[in-house]
Amino acid sequence: MKLCTLRATLPVRGRVFRTYAACRRLSSKSTLETVTGTQSGIAFDNSATISQTCSTTMSNLYDVVIVGGGISGLTLAAGLKSSPYTSNLKIALVESMSLASAKNWSPENDRYSNRVSSITPASRCYLSQIGVWDYVYAERVQPYDDMRVWDGVSGARIHFDAFHLGAEDASIAFMTENLNLQHALLSRLNDLPADPPVMVLDNTKVEGITEGPTFDDLDLSSWPSLKLSNGDIIMARLLVGADGVNSPVRSFANIKSRGWDYRQEGVVAVLDMEWDDRQRIAWQRFLPSGPIALLPMPDGKASLVWSTSPKHATHLKSLNGGAFCTLVNAAFRLGMVDLQYLMTRVDEEEITQEFEWRDGRLPIEAEGQQFPIRVVEVQEGSRASFPLKMRHCDTYVAPRIALVGDAAHTTHPLAGQGLNLGQGDVASLVRVIEQATQEGSDIGHEIVLQQYWAERYPINHMMLGVIDKLQKLYCTDFPPIVGIRTIGLEVVESLDWVKKIIMKQAAGA
Amino acid sequence: MRPRIPTILPSVRLLKRGYTYNAPSANYPGHVPTNIFQKLFLAAGSGIYSFFDPKRADLIATLGEATAVPFLMKRLRDQMLSDPTGRRILRDRPRITSASIRVDQLLSYPENTIGRTYAEWLKREGVSPDTRARVRYIDDEECAYVMQRYRECHDFYHAITGLPIIIEGEISLKMFEFANTLIPMTGIGAILAPLRLKPKQRERLRTIYFPWAIKNGATARPLINVYWEEILDCDVQEVRDELGIEKPPDLRELRKKRISRL
Repeated sequence: MKLCTLRATLPVRGRVFRTYAACRRLSSKSTLETVTGTQSGIAFDNSATISQTCSTTMSNLYDVVIVGGGISGLTLAAGLKSSPYTSNLKIALVESMSLASAKNWSPENDRYSNRVSSITPASRCYLSQIGVWDYVYAERVQPYDDMRVWDGVSGARIHFDAFHLGAEDASIAFMTENLNLQHALLSRLNDLPADPPVMVLDNTKVEGITEGPTFDDLDLSSWPSLKLSNGDIIMARLLVGADGVNSPVRSFANIKSRGWDYRQEGVVAVLDMEWDDRQRIAWQRFLPSGPIALLPMPDGKASLVWSTSPKHATHLKSLNGGAFCTLVNAAFRLGMVDLQYLMTRVDEEEITQEFEWRDGRLPIEAEGQQFPIRVVEVQEGSRASFPLKMRHCDTYVAPRIALVGDAAHTTHPLAGQGLNLGQGDVASLVRVIEQATQEGSDIGHEIVLQQYWAERYPINHMMLGVIDKLQKLYCTDFPPIVGIRTIGLEVVESLDWVKKIIMKQAAGA
Repeated sequence: MRPRIPTILPSVRLLKRGYTYNAPSANYPGHVPTNIFQKLFLAAGSGIYSFFDPKRADLIATLGEATAVPFLMKRLRDQMLSDPTGRRILRDRPRITSASIRVDQLLSYPENTIGRTYAEWLKREGVSPDTRARVRYIDDEECAYVMQRYRECHDFYHAITGLPIIIEGEISLKMFEFANTLIPMTGIGAILAPLRLKPKQRERLRTIYFPWAIKNGATARPLINVYWEEILDCDVQEVRDELGIEKPPDLRELRKKRISRL
């Protein structure tokens, strides 16, 4: 607590002097003075002049330790390093997997990764602001300005057009591979003239998180101390958990995450369309078993997210490519009974014949207007599935701990918001840390962090709630419910101003 | 801002379409497009007339079409679409006529086969497969075929249950069909037609035939999904077992017994 008492009196770079002062009290030797003046952050030279305990501690003290090298974690690192107020923070990023493949990633012609995200204009804006968007391979980004969503049971439709967002050339969202973003973030971090640079520890697992040690004169007991798989122990003024749904940081902070599983799995795949549709439309149809979405990608490809029961997900993954594509087409075009029937079939020829028969009965003018053009091929090895759940933490912060992205909340992919909510968290947390450094507050203090929580919790909670209710509303074919939702959807469709509000919210404005 | 013409909700428009006089063009050969008032008028007219003259099969057919609520017809069609054989029927669109079914040939089939029973039944009752009218008033083309199929298979239902076409047999079968297919006309017929009967006949229906019809109709597999043309050489009892139908008491026998007792 001695550390805290010093805090208020020190301005922007208070933490340097504070730690230094604390260390001087510990060590009788005064050679430390040489390292403080010129260097930013707390990158101490652990020369032998410092006593043994002290050296271990000092070199392993960080202002911010980010656990998780996913998009949220990397964006946070890039965001902090891009801000003039926070660029001198000493930051470490710990990731259990190797980041080499993301770092050296370059687009492979005609092959796309199946991990794809929809980036809202607000997220893109933030990524441009912190200089990351310039590193993104633009040819691998597909904006879309038209979105058609309809009810598979009643056929009620809603049509979102980017013109509702105001600007002439506005886009509803941008589709890109997560790898493209991760690569851009890592490149940006690499090129940033930050001093000290972000310490990226990939291939390193966090083996345990405990409270920090207490020395005679230096009390680090409130600092989380991370035991890493490479044997190091690092301590953080602020530990940020960007470590996904099963966040170890969250468990350490003893923060409860509430929610439920949807008993659905999201089947993803990269698909080849019949031709390169220049219309740039995102399609989503709500089936009683879960929504199916087809999102445009460059080069006449499309990305599929089909939320369905685990049983069907397994079945869809086990089918051969041709039959799988036919089922995707059927899911967008045919009636529910036909689809259910086709789901019970395994023979490709039979599925194709049945599909062609029913598809042939559809009006030709609906093609490309009411449902997407046909899918013809699925990219080898691109089919995968993941369980869908809703989780929201009671709080995102604890003393010296903050959670961002999936660690704080997980949602159904039906609105394409998962990654964007995380980006919103990061932008907010960076703002709060910036302000704290300007005021000379301790960035790890709960009062500081609570501003972040207060700003993000209501926004995330509303979005998660709306998505959850939509999911529940559309996961039934009980006629009265279908009737109500059909009328509701049609009312929204006929009121431009309501649509405008919805789109602004979804765009993250 | 794009100017926007005030529109009606699509679901309201759909309802409204039924009330307009500029009826849409025919959806299939023989289709007579009608609006909801015309349908009600047809239903009332054919219903009243056929109540007093139950032998008018054409009026009963019209009643069936005019009261065929799209929801229930779609339900029946969906029942066919959920079954491999039902789908095949919808795809092949087989028609039962004296051209597709050679009655004289069926008479040479072994005893107790579907074909033989059906042909004998036709002969005994003095009817032919061609006595069935074309569907005209159902708007959806596929549902119209479902109704057509039901109508043409009706004689097979007689054959498999052994119910005769005297009025009591017809009413019992209608109840059985209603429990099995939910076609509204069959229900209307089964409820209203007994009003014309003598109390003794009504009691027989109430105590013997309706319980049989409701139980068997509801528990049997959907009869609309039976490809009768393909099982003409199968044993009747086997088919009955497969579909889950018990044979009802022979109506003519019961009547004879009662008459002899008098």
